[in-house]
Amino acid sequence: MAIDKYIMGLFKSEDQAVAAVHGLKESKWTLHRIHSPIPSHKLSEALKLKTSKVGWFTLCGGIFGFFAGFALAILTAERWDLIVSGKPVRALVPFVIVGFEFTVLFAILGNLVGFLTQTRLPRMQNLEHYDERCSGEHFGVLASCQEDQQEGLHSLFVENGGIVRVFD
Amino acid sequence: MADEGKKSSYWIVWVAMVVIGFGTFIYLAASGRPDQAWKAYLINFLIWSAIAQGGMLFSTLMHTVKAKWSGSLSGLSEAFTGFFPVSLILFLFLFLGGAHVFPWSHGHDLHGKEVWLNIPFLFTRDLIALFILYGLGFGYLYYSLQLKKVDTTNGKGIIRTLFRILQGGRQLEPEVIRKRMDLLAILYMLAFALVLSLIGYDLVMALDPHWISTLFGAYTFVKAIYVGLGGLIIFAAVMHLNPKNDFTLPSSQFHDIGKLFFAFCLVWADFFYVQLVVIWYGNIPEETAYVIERVMMVPWKYLAWFVFAVSFVIPFFILLNKKVKTMPAFMMVLAACMIAGIWLEHLLLVGPSLSHSVHTLPLGINDILISLGFLGLMLLALNSFLRQFPELARTEKREVS
Amino acid sequence: MTELTFNRIDDTVLDTLTPARGTYWLTVVLLFMGILVGLSCWLYQIFTGIGVAGMNIPVAWGTYLINFVFWVGIAHSGTLISAILHLFRAGWRNPIARAAETMTVFAVCTAGLFPFIHLGRVWLVYYMLPIPTQRTLWPNFQSPLMFDVVAISTYLTVSSLFWYTGMLPDLAIIRDRAVGRRKKIFTWLSLGWTGTHEQWRHYTRIYLFFAALATPLVISVHSVVSWDFALGVVPGWHTTIFAPYFVAGAIHSGLAMVLTLMIPLRKIFNYEKIITMHVLESVAKTIVLTGMIVGFAYGTEFFIAWYSRNPVEEYIFAWRATGDYAIPFWIMVTCNTIVPLAFLIKKVRTAIPWLFGISIVVNIGMWYERFIIIITSVGRDFLPNAWSLYRPSLVEFGIMLGSFSLFFFLFVLFVKHMPSVSMTEMKETLVEGGGHGH
Repeated sequence: MAIDKYIMGLFKSEDQAVAAVHGLKESKWTLHRIHSPIPSHKLSEALKLKTSKVGWFTLCGGIFGFFAGFALAILTAERWDLIVSGKPVRALVPFVIVGFEFTVLFAILGNLVGFLTQTRLPRMQNLEHYDERCSGEHFGVLASCQEDQQEGLHSLFVENGGIVRVFD
Repeated sequence: MADEGKKSSYWIVWVAMVVIGFGTFIYLAASGRPDQAWKAYLINFLIWSAIAQGGMLFSTLMHTVKAKWSGSLSGLSEAFTGFFPVSLILFLFLFLGGAHVFPWSHGHDLHGKEVWLNIPFLFTRDLIALFILYGLGFGYLYYSLQLKKVDTTNGKGIIRTLFRILQGGRQLEPEVIRKRMDLLAILYMLAFALVLSLIGYDLVMALDPHWISTLFGAYTFVKAIYVGLGGLIIFAAVMHLNPKNDFTLPSSQFHDIGKLFFAFCLVWADFFYVQLVVIWYGNIPEETAYVIERVMMVPWKYLAWFVFAVSFVIPFFILLNKKVKTMPAFMMVLAACMIAGIWLEHLLLVGPSLSHSVHTLPLGINDILISLGFLGLMLLALNSFLRQFPELARTEKREVS
Repeated sequence: MTELTFNRIDDTVLDTLTPARGTYWLTVVLLFMGILVGLSCWLYQIFTGIGVAGMNIPVAWGTYLINFVFWVGIAHSGTLISAILHLFRAGWRNPIARAAETMTVFAVCTAGLFPFIHLGRVWLVYYMLPIPTQRTLWPNFQSPLMFDVVAISTYLTVSSLFWYTGMLPDLAIIRDRAVGRRKKIFTWLSLGWTGTHEQWRHYTRIYLFFAALATPLVISVHSVVSWDFALGVVPGWHTTIFAPYFVAGAIHSGLAMVLTLMIPLRKIFNYEKIITMHVLESVAKTIVLTGMIVGFAYGTEFFIAWYSRNPVEEYIFAWRATGDYAIPFWIMVTCNTIVPLAFLIKKVRTAIPWLFGISIVVNIGMWYERFIIIITSVGRDFLPNAWSLYRPSLVEFGIMLGSFSLFFFLFVLFVKHMPSVSMTEMKETLVEGGGHGH
């Protein structure tokens, strides 16, 4: 019966890849993903990608860090609970520094967590249906079609100036 | 505001503002409160000059780093040089109020500082410094206009005529013009740092002659850049939103200058904190007295927290958002609030030195009216400058962001 | 002139990762021997006691602090270049961003050793950690030394993460071109990165946040280091200008170190088309700016020292310029503020020998700046009967040699095994309007 065949079109220029994407959108074949060696504004516009949500992780990390920093400094000072060098026990002016550093640290850790969870890295299965030229100079557009429709997809890619690779 | 040769319909309003301001000042001085009058004068002189000096800095900075995004904005920023002659004259008038504005001139024991803090020397050096700064600014403007291929053989205006005479019909190669602009831009920025530091030390820090903060000079010029950018944003927003001229700015440029504005909000707050933490921690009474009076004593502490909220906290949280920076009307309001906050910050720095042991904030309707007068002067200066050089408010064709 | 293309960039950079010749390994061995010298001096100090170093009352802080501040300072330029210039969209940053970040990570590592070395009784270092212990004591978070612990650890963590994340797409390039065991190693290192549009969508966003967060971090870390000095009441230290002054000085020395590293790298690895003269010139011009800021700070300090009419403050500045340490003082002033002005001349800033030579001079000057600040202020402060001088001991020189060797050793190892230029960012500069510009 109809098994899905994965075919990748490899394009040397961004514009060719964008044209292929538009072509695919108008066709009945499924566009899976695009591999590129560099991030591309034109491609993300063509794909109508929304802004990533990783920022929320960063923000939460930052807020947590802000309070954690102050909490660490204040609670440890209160355990000692004596005036040192004439400074008050809960000295907010210097504790701003600890709070600030912790804000940045946890915001970055949040950033990292957001990145790993949203991209689901590390993930070696990504390397399936991947062509190694995509990290070099080619933009790889991966689509799939039914086995008997290979010709059509093949020619769509070639029309836009690409090399074709069929995955079995 | 950019119709060639025609005065803005608001001209009358601005002249009225100046008259009101001047009138209030005279009234205060005559009715036995010259201290209040001169205090308001000093604060306004400092902040409006800073807006002009900082606003102009934008163009020299963009030129030096060869930024590609700032074309139209640089033109507007150069228009701030229109206020320079006004500022110079205002400074000369400040001389008349020396006794009221400088507490140390009343026979304090200055422990040897008299050689530095005496009215003749102070005025001479600050006047020369401002002269140099403004001269460099005009020099840069002169060449910048030539680069824009502004034809000074026609058009009215004092400065335009002056430039016409200086140019003497010669047409320099663009390469030569650019090299001279490179040099003048760097010299202006260098002078900016040095002159504003000097002004900060002489006209603000010295009001409490026994207090020192080494960073105060740099703090002053960073503040000037912050309010300068704010002023530029307001100016650009007004020009952009005005349907009567054809000046427009793409939203990406508003975004970029909004980001720069945000950055300097942080730098200003950082320079403030850096002084605070060192003084707080060292706990040396010579240094802490100044800070304690302004941050912990009534009534000044309310002002301090208010300034902190209006000029740092609120802009910080609002400007984190990308969209906000691309809304000119909103940015205009935000920048205006921020500048008002910095006006109050000047009052916070200068007020306790000039009005000892007050129980309520020495801020009233008179201060607002005098400030209105200065605002009128700024608007008149900008408008007359744009009438002389309408080329400055031209939308640059190549907008690459 | 051959134009740069994606493939040419990849080839040029991947060429540098081919197995090395004898001179490379000789360099590595020499540097390692330098590390061993440092290590043995340190071990000698641990077993004999911190007295083998030259510190004594009143100069209780010597080369260990000087080197600590020096290396943290060097680290700052890396983040300036990779993070701050990314926010400003300055294209000249792309060819050198990777090497600069690497410089940052290794400089912070080197700097981080010095608190341990200076501790003397290294086995008690856990006192600095905020962990519940049977002693029921916690670190005093009001102390600037604790600010250091927090700031430097944060900086090390953030820089390493930024550096590694930035390398992911490049590690994928190596994986794709490698075979056998190397391919396996890089498959794991690249975390399965395949450059899909989804991955790039998230990546460009987090990179922006990394840059936006690293920028205030850079400013704060060296401000915190400066407060080790400024928060005390010692004359010449207790001044509000220290934080921005130190940050500017850090960037000054870091940029000089960037030149010192990039110029040989460029020659040896044939990077001339990638790290162009324009890039080196831009670094040189920025050095002029930072040099002027440092000069401004020197001038302001002297002025305020006089203006304060504080005899102790006035004395310390006069003594710095004319006393026992006058020669290091004038070396500092000349090397940091006067010599970099030569870069105003185009011929000088486009000539490799001058660029390299002046970069070394600036770093010498910046090392002496920390020497002057630390040693003179403590050497003659409030009590004349406690005044004394300081001279570093052989052990300290050995450890210093070890630290420099460690830094270059790590850097040299890195450039031969990992991509020292970011291929991905170089490709972005080739594509107009593309990349992670926002």
